[in-house]
Amino acid sequence: MMTMLGGEPFLLVSKQEQQNYPLYIRSVPSDSELKFHYTVHTSLDVVEEKVSAVGKVIVDQRELYLGLLYPTEDYKVYGYVTNSKVKFVIVVDSSNTSLRDNEIRSMFRKLHNSFTDVMCNPFYNPGDPIQSKVFDSMVSSMMVQTC
Amino acid sequence: MADEALFQFLHNELIQYVYKSSEQGEMENARCITKLENMGFRVGQGLIERFTKDTARFKDELDVMKFICKDFWTSVFKKQIDNLRTNHQGIYVLQDNKFRLLSQLSAGKQYLEHAPKYLAFTCGLVRGGLANLGVKSIVTAEVSVMPACKFQVMIQKV
Amino acid sequence: MEPHEEKPIIYTMENKPIVTCAGDQALFTSLYNSLTQQLPREPMEWRRSYGRAPKMIHLEANFVQFKEELLPKEGNRALLTFPFLHIYWTDCCDTEVYKASVKEDIVRWQSLLRLHSTTDWLIVVVESDTKKKNKTNILPRTSIVDKIRNDFCNKQSDRCVILSDPLKDSSRSQESWSSFLTKLRTLLLMSFTKNLGRFEDDMRTLREKRTEPGWSFCDYFMVQEELAFVFEMLQQFEDALVQYDELDALFTQYVLNFGAGDGANWLCSFCQPLRSWNGLLLRRPIDMEKRELIQHGQASLLDLRSYLFSRQCTLLIFLLRPWEVTQRALELLHNCVQELRLLEVSVPPGALDCWVFLSCLEVLQRIEGCCDRAQLEANCSHTVGLWTYATEKLKSLGSLCGLVSENGPNSEDLNRTVDLLAGLGAERPETANSLQSPYKKLKEALSSVEAFEKHYLELSHAAMEMYRAIGRMRSARLVGKSLAEFYMRKGDPQRAEAFLQESLKSYLAEGWALPVAHTRKQIAECQKQLGQTDEYLQTSALLASDTHLTDMERKHFCQEILSFAGQTAEGHAQKVVLSMNAFAQLRQLQFRPATAVVHVGAALELELSLRSLMPVPVRLEQLAVSVHFSLEKGGARGRAGPGGGAGNRGRVGQGQGSPCGTVLFPGESPPGALPRSQPPALELYEIQDRSPSDGALNSAGVVCKNVHLLLRRQDSSASLDTPSSTAVAVEDGAQLLKTHDVSLLPGNNNILFTAPSREPGTYTLRQLCATVGRIQFVLPHIYPIVQYEVYSQEPQLSVEPLADNLLAGLPQRVKFIIVTGHYSIKRGDALQLSNSDAMPILSSSGCVARVLSSDSELVAETTLSMQSSEKVTSVSLPLAPPYHSVEFQLEVQCHIPAGPVRPESERLTNGEPWHRARSRQRTSSGMSVVDQKISIDCPWSIYSTLVALTFYIPFKAKHLLLSSGKRKYIQVCLQNVSDMNFHVSDQQLAERQQSSSLWLQSLNAKAKQLVHSKQSVFCLWEVKWTCEPPASLQCVFSINFCPADAQRSVFTPYYYEFQLDNVSTLYSLSADIQPAPGEQQCRTGTLCGLEVSIVRLAEPSDSEQQDEGPVETGGFCTTKLMYEVVDNSSNWAVCGKSSGIVSMPVAANATHKVRMEVMPLFAGHLPFPSIKVLKYLPHNAPSTIPPDTDGCVENDNISLLDKGLDDQADTSSIRSRGSVHSLGGGSEQQQRGLPMPRLEPFGPGQVFNRSQGCQVLVLPSKDDHVLEVNLT
Repeated sequence: MMTMLGGEPFLLVSKQEQQNYPLYIRSVPSDSELKFHYTVHTSLDVVEEKVSAVGKVIVDQRELYLGLLYPTEDYKVYGYVTNSKVKFVIVVDSSNTSLRDNEIRSMFRKLHNSFTDVMCNPFYNPGDPIQSKVFDSMVSSMMVQTC
Repeated sequence: MADEALFQFLHNELIQYVYKSSEQGEMENARCITKLENMGFRVGQGLIERFTKDTARFKDELDVMKFICKDFWTSVFKKQIDNLRTNHQGIYVLQDNKFRLLSQLSAGKQYLEHAPKYLAFTCGLVRGGLANLGVKSIVTAEVSVMPACKFQVMIQKV
Repeated sequence: MEPHEEKPIIYTMENKPIVTCAGDQALFTSLYNSLTQQLPREPMEWRRSYGRAPKMIHLEANFVQFKEELLPKEGNRALLTFPFLHIYWTDCCDTEVYKASVKEDIVRWQSLLRLHSTTDWLIVVVESDTKKKNKTNILPRTSIVDKIRNDFCNKQSDRCVILSDPLKDSSRSQESWSSFLTKLRTLLLMSFTKNLGRFEDDMRTLREKRTEPGWSFCDYFMVQEELAFVFEMLQQFEDALVQYDELDALFTQYVLNFGAGDGANWLCSFCQPLRSWNGLLLRRPIDMEKRELIQHGQASLLDLRSYLFSRQCTLLIFLLRPWEVTQRALELLHNCVQELRLLEVSVPPGALDCWVFLSCLEVLQRIEGCCDRAQLEANCSHTVGLWTYATEKLKSLGSLCGLVSENGPNSEDLNRTVDLLAGLGAERPETANSLQSPYKKLKEALSSVEAFEKHYLELSHAAMEMYRAIGRMRSARLVGKSLAEFYMRKGDPQRAEAFLQESLKSYLAEGWALPVAHTRKQIAECQKQLGQTDEYLQTSALLASDTHLTDMERKHFCQEILSFAGQTAEGHAQKVVLSMNAFAQLRQLQFRPATAVVHVGAALELELSLRSLMPVPVRLEQLAVSVHFSLEKGGARGRAGPGGGAGNRGRVGQGQGSPCGTVLFPGESPPGALPRSQPPALELYEIQDRSPSDGALNSAGVVCKNVHLLLRRQDSSASLDTPSSTAVAVEDGAQLLKTHDVSLLPGNNNILFTAPSREPGTYTLRQLCATVGRIQFVLPHIYPIVQYEVYSQEPQLSVEPLADNLLAGLPQRVKFIIVTGHYSIKRGDALQLSNSDAMPILSSSGCVARVLSSDSELVAETTLSMQSSEKVTSVSLPLAPPYHSVEFQLEVQCHIPAGPVRPESERLTNGEPWHRARSRQRTSSGMSVVDQKISIDCPWSIYSTLVALTFYIPFKAKHLLLSSGKRKYIQVCLQNVSDMNFHVSDQQLAERQQSSSLWLQSLNAKAKQLVHSKQSVFCLWEVKWTCEPPASLQCVFSINFCPADAQRSVFTPYYYEFQLDNVSTLYSLSADIQPAPGEQQCRTGTLCGLEVSIVRLAEPSDSEQQDEGPVETGGFCTTKLMYEVVDNSSNWAVCGKSSGIVSMPVAANATHKVRMEVMPLFAGHLPFPSIKVLKYLPHNAPSTIPPDTDGCVENDNISLLDKGLDDQADTSSIRSRGSVHSLGGGSEQQQRGLPMPRLEPFGPGQVFNRSQGCQVLVLPSKDDHVLEVNLT
């Protein structure tokens, strides 16, 4: 477990028309990688639930950060959805107590910022998996911090 | 947004280039408009990504359209859309009484036949922006007296 | 204080703050009811310390009789048992009695209170008239009260209140009641504030001490909970909850710190190994056992957590927030698991699972207990988490206890089960009588395989249902997946597969590679067990090509396929058909030649590059592309020939067709994942809206042409089909491109095919099919469409001249070109040329035929052999394979036809283009042409081809009739209009009807002469006759010519026929100019006399009779002539009338003289003014235009007249009518039949002017210069 201590940022786009294709997936290499994939994929349910709740619910929080999507025994799964319907999901080992809501929020902001840069890169074709080295290094640095 | 003048010059050159290349038979003239529009589309996608980075989540379609008319338009064209109308069935008409990209062309009917080329890119810009906000649409434009022009946005109901 | 006293109070949640009552018990009991009723009626505002918001609360009190034991001893912080107010009741109104007993009583009471330092007391004096009645010695009403006030409440007089006639229903009593109650409430609240305040202070100080060694969380817990109890007691559940949450947070923090390293020693009590794991218990307000455990520091982590949560749960339910319970529950459970890990508590395997399972169910049941169905269903989203959690746990329990294995639990499984159940302990009394209690469920579930299955399925399905209900499909599928795993363990792949397939779908749809790979592996397992060979192979193929698997795995699955393929097909020889796209991808196709258009039988190569996705090389017995053949419509290709193929290059792959004949196929999206469905590209166009009235532009714009397509919503489900082998079907019977024994290496492979080109038509590539033993991998549709074309060309013969135009009358070379097309020229094949005597084919020996290949390189050269009979000339052709061309040249000669030939401009306009072009540029030259048609029979067709050749006549002849007096001369001018020079010789002129009386005497040179291009020769003959001059002559001019540069001069004749009418001279004119009388010479400016005499020479001919319509006048007939003297050189001024009409008697030598005066204007030898004579026909005369005999000739004339004056001249001499037309005006009027006299000129030979070209000497006059002046 200690191997994956810290953030497990998964990044995936979900334009409705683009069927939640993962744009970017990154995790601290570990044997439970598959489990992450399942977890994150399932978390999309909650993301969509929360996003669709916007406007309907009386107290609709219009923030891009969706907060804790749901806890599992081993992970905490956080969500963030840009206005362009790009979904970011971060999975954190629940034993990791150093990351509070605010840290997570700022991690998401970082992700969003550099994703924006990716979008504005002429060599990036929207909807394709992200290959940008800059983005990569940003994510890795973030993951290092969280450990 | 780039400096206004620069943007306009670049835009003009863009059109020149596209139509030149069509004269050299690289594609038939009809496709130029489409090509320009597609360029706009990609740019719109990128721009909207930036512009909406720090805004709150949009309530609904109308909310989005308002954003386009106000913030988006201001950032790109240094002014707001003058008039937004809708039939509440997914059709919006954005009227700009002094559209930046036409204001240099003429004030009136002169060069009217050339006006469409100068609108295509913007049509794409809007479509791209909307698309990236998850609003699938078709954007067309009309000019009767420059530099005023109308953009019509038809939104696909999903 | 003994617990047996505490308990009853705490047990009932009817806790109320305690108020003791001393003094007159009877009195109190009488008032008790109304008191307890009225106290809560009015709310009271409670202002609170520490800036907490004031609250309105309804006070209640538990009025108990005053006992000393009730007063709290030092150090006891029990708040619940704390008496907040002490009331002394008395209705004494008699001083004596007061002094006697009451006072002491109060004193004793007070001292007790003081002893316990309680200041919250009140003395109530009840007044009632009933008492007073029977009293005689009345004291002032207030006296007792005053006394009491004096004695006891020294400064705080408000501690003593009067309640008057409480039992009466009078306004007065009500007043006093309300004032009393208010007082009571106020005092109560004061007491609360005071005592709680103090309590909280103590509590805080205690918390501050938490860093000190001796500090114990449990003690502190008890204290703060006390506070919570009070708030609860006061119905302040919010505040109560806060207390527990604070405790919760505090504890959590401690555990985290422990995890971080610094452990408080009190935590050790929680680190003890887990012994009991009976889950949460939420059915009692307070779980006393656990509370005691905590109190005595024996609680395990789970005990503490359970207790804490049970309290929170209770309060939340009071606050009507059940959904928060479920949410907190889930967090709690997760949290506990974590905390146990952090504290490194040793937990027997499965214990935690039991605990979680029980807890989940407990929470759910608790919630169900307090909500109705509708609410529950509306809030699945809150409960579903617990359901799934429970499911997971039960599952892991099951596998732990060997309940999911196919062959039940073994002994050690059973032991484990027993231990687990032991840890549950006995069922709690609360649930003992509920059949569905979590406890019972768990016990049952673990009791047997069947029971477990039942419960597990129940839970799973419940969870799935809920997820579906709230649209969390992915979650539902995930549950389904674990259900599938369960079924697999149970050895029921049938059931498992359904679930797996469903979730696979969604992973595919959303492109989640890892889950896809994983799920596929599971599916493969199912299919293998189910013996679904085809499906299994298909899946294996997908897995073998899946890069997300390890090499080992991929090789394994690949091996599965190959080994199956290797098996000898016993029983069913039917091959297994699998979809290709998992096995290999078609990357690109390339045609050679690039045009992908060839003629029948030609070689067309097709190279396709195939990317094998298999991890190991695979040997294919056969790789085949099935081809659909369709006859091309219209023979367009046939005519276009190979070159034309370029036009259809687009056919090679719509769009993708690149000039180099390559078709690229879109790169597959990552294996397994489906390519995203691209919406149709929108097509925009400029529009311009012009106003209908004037073309002015109203508006311009950009419009979209395919809105309907774009705005149509496309259903995403359409694209979600997994490549199932059923979808793939091999088309048979189609033509095939084949190669055998290809071995596909991993990665790109290039394979070469030779495409069949036997039939002409369009070949569309349909399917790609690779055969490996019993397996066929099929690419069902090759898209983009790839086609190639095979055309067959009809053989054809074309004939064209070598020179840029053929000359008639000379041997000319003509080139024959045969394009064989699909026909191959066999031995003995020959062209049959029909001879025409107008154009014989000169069989020149040793003419050579060249055979050329389609790309025009010389293949063979043979000399032609020709036989010609009188009918046909047959040219035997050399052997030539199909799609070659044969060329040879023949010499032909076109005889120049005698007589009038059609001029060039009149030629039929169906000439070949190369003719047309030339004829256009040469019209000015006026070269006459001859069209010659040869019909040629070709061996390949039963129809004979007509070839038209146009020959140009190199010469053009004109003739002229000259006369002097009666003598006649014929002049013929021969013009060489060609570009060549010719020798001409022995020109001859012959008369048709050889009348002995007439002969033509040549006045020409005998020798042959050279006529250069564009030059003319003139020949002259005198017409001589004996008896009388001929009316008309039919002449044939003939001359021989041969090219000047010819080696051996072979002369060919050239004939020219013409006719002359009205040859003989009718009149002879003569003019004479006489000087003015008395002058020898004419002088300028002086009038001279001009005498014109017209003499009739010939007898009237019958032709004349009807022609000039003579009139009978005075015995013999006369004819009218008109004469005219004009001087267009303006040498002469004609004075008086210059023209006039004379009537001539029609008789020989009849003469008529006319005189007039003319004045010379210049000096010198002046030519005579010219004199004209015309026929003058009166209006009644019949029209001279006879009914037309030969329309086309007439037309010829007209067209000739259009053509320039020289023609006009000569034809007018051929036919008088021509000149009539040339005159225009008059005749037309005539034809319109207007009654007008008409003028007609005479034929050229009919009038002879003697004085033609005569001159007269004119001398200048003396004062000519004056005259000059006058004139000018």
